[in-house]
Amino acid sequence: MFKKLMQTVIAAFAMVVVLSPIAVEARTLDEILSSKKLVVGVNPTLPPLGNYNEKNEIVGFDVDLSQKLADMLGVELEVIKVGSPDRIPFVATGKIDYVMGAMTRNPERAKIIDFTVPAHTEVFGVLTTEGKSYATYKDLDSADVQLVQVRGTTPLKFIKENVSKAKVLLLDNYPDAVRALAQGRGDAMIDVIDFVGEHMNKHKDTKWKVVDAPVNVYFCALGVAKGNSSLRDWLNVALFELHRDGFIDTTWKKWFGIDMLYSVSPSPYF
Amino acid sequence: MSYTLQFGQVTDYIPYLIGGAWISLQIAFLAFCGGMIIGTLGAMAKTFGGRIVSGLTNAYVAFFMNTPQLVQIFFIYFALPDAGILLTSYEAVLIGMTLNAGAYLTEIQRAGFQSVHRNEMEAAETLGMSLLQRVRYVVLPHIARVLFPPLSNQYILMTLGTSMAAIFGVEELTGRAFNINAETFRSIEVFSITAIIYIALTLCATFMLGLFGRYLFRAKMRLL
Repeated sequence: MFKKLMQTVIAAFAMVVVLSPIAVEARTLDEILSSKKLVVGVNPTLPPLGNYNEKNEIVGFDVDLSQKLADMLGVELEVIKVGSPDRIPFVATGKIDYVMGAMTRNPERAKIIDFTVPAHTEVFGVLTTEGKSYATYKDLDSADVQLVQVRGTTPLKFIKENVSKAKVLLLDNYPDAVRALAQGRGDAMIDVIDFVGEHMNKHKDTKWKVVDAPVNVYFCALGVAKGNSSLRDWLNVALFELHRDGFIDTTWKKWFGIDMLYSVSPSPYF
Repeated sequence: MSYTLQFGQVTDYIPYLIGGAWISLQIAFLAFCGGMIIGTLGAMAKTFGGRIVSGLTNAYVAFFMNTPQLVQIFFIYFALPDAGILLTSYEAVLIGMTLNAGAYLTEIQRAGFQSVHRNEMEAAETLGMSLLQRVRYVVLPHIARVLFPPLSNQYILMTLGTSMAAIFGVEELTGRAFNINAETFRSIEVFSITAIIYIALTLCATFMLGLFGRYLFRAKMRLL
């Protein structure tokens, strides 16, 4: 009887020890080098930044860039799957060394984690075809403009608030919406244009045009734990080199099928 | 499951949903009327037509009954523009549903046409009636009563089938439900209200068709 009780108590104690949150410090550059492993968080639901291939491995632009960084450090790369809500806690608690996945730099996030220099941009803008004379998204706010959008996506809120006069055709998915635009069912589409590049390329005869003035440009960087300057400083230098030697642009084109619409001009001062 | 239902966020959208239901009804009604015309002609062609005419009708029926309606509309909406025929979402869905309904209604009516006694048809012919007169005065009055229940079933199925118009950008009931769902994330509330509107639509249709059938054709229809 007593023995059994003791066993239960010990088991319960063990559970508490295992499950209790252990305060983990983010790993410094030295610790990464001595462990011979770089641990990176990638979101596999954002193709072509991150996606599962047929072997169920995560591949994409983020993985290629991280592999290059790991090679430059001379360590192994370990890719950890992260999602939008948990990725910042993952970095803050040191479970991963840095996080990617369209991490737009913004002041709210910068309170909790630190950012490197930009790794890439995303253009939230207007996709149209040659022959249409829109100069900014404001030109779309007219009753004779037919937009083609994807049902249930975030740009719809922007359209409702800013170009409410335009007619909107809502289709089910991006391939259908881009095809409808190519077939002349509409005049323009407002979205993050980089991500529709692969669908644009499927319509070879269509002369695509991205309106010069973007609605917004998001600068996406690598997120590291707050105060982990040894890692961040190294990543800044490495990213500067990778921008300058064209590695990032080539890798972008490989995955997105188009050049980065708003290129990062690497500055040597940071 | 601990989920708090919040109908308050969705009730404002009910008029918007009912507007969508109106579009669903329109599509179903127009496609059914068009389908009835095709179906009657098809049944005539299959019963009285020569080998070539009935062969062509058979091919049409076989094609539209053995391919999914979604694929048919997809073809009309996305493949025809490459041949220079650009139809709007509404037109493409309406034409697709009409052609599809035409095939099913041909088959339903063919069964009726063949149930008319040969003697009656011969009697009509002896009286000097033309083919159209024979169909109008002998066949249709005869089969209307028998065919009324399967025809109203087909109408109800078509009302529910309009939900696929959402995929082609027609803002009917289901499309509007998706829009509200994406805006409010109140999926259970949005889709339960949508389901109730669909049930109301089909129950009303069943009731109206039942009354219609009872008084016009003396068909033994259950009202609800």
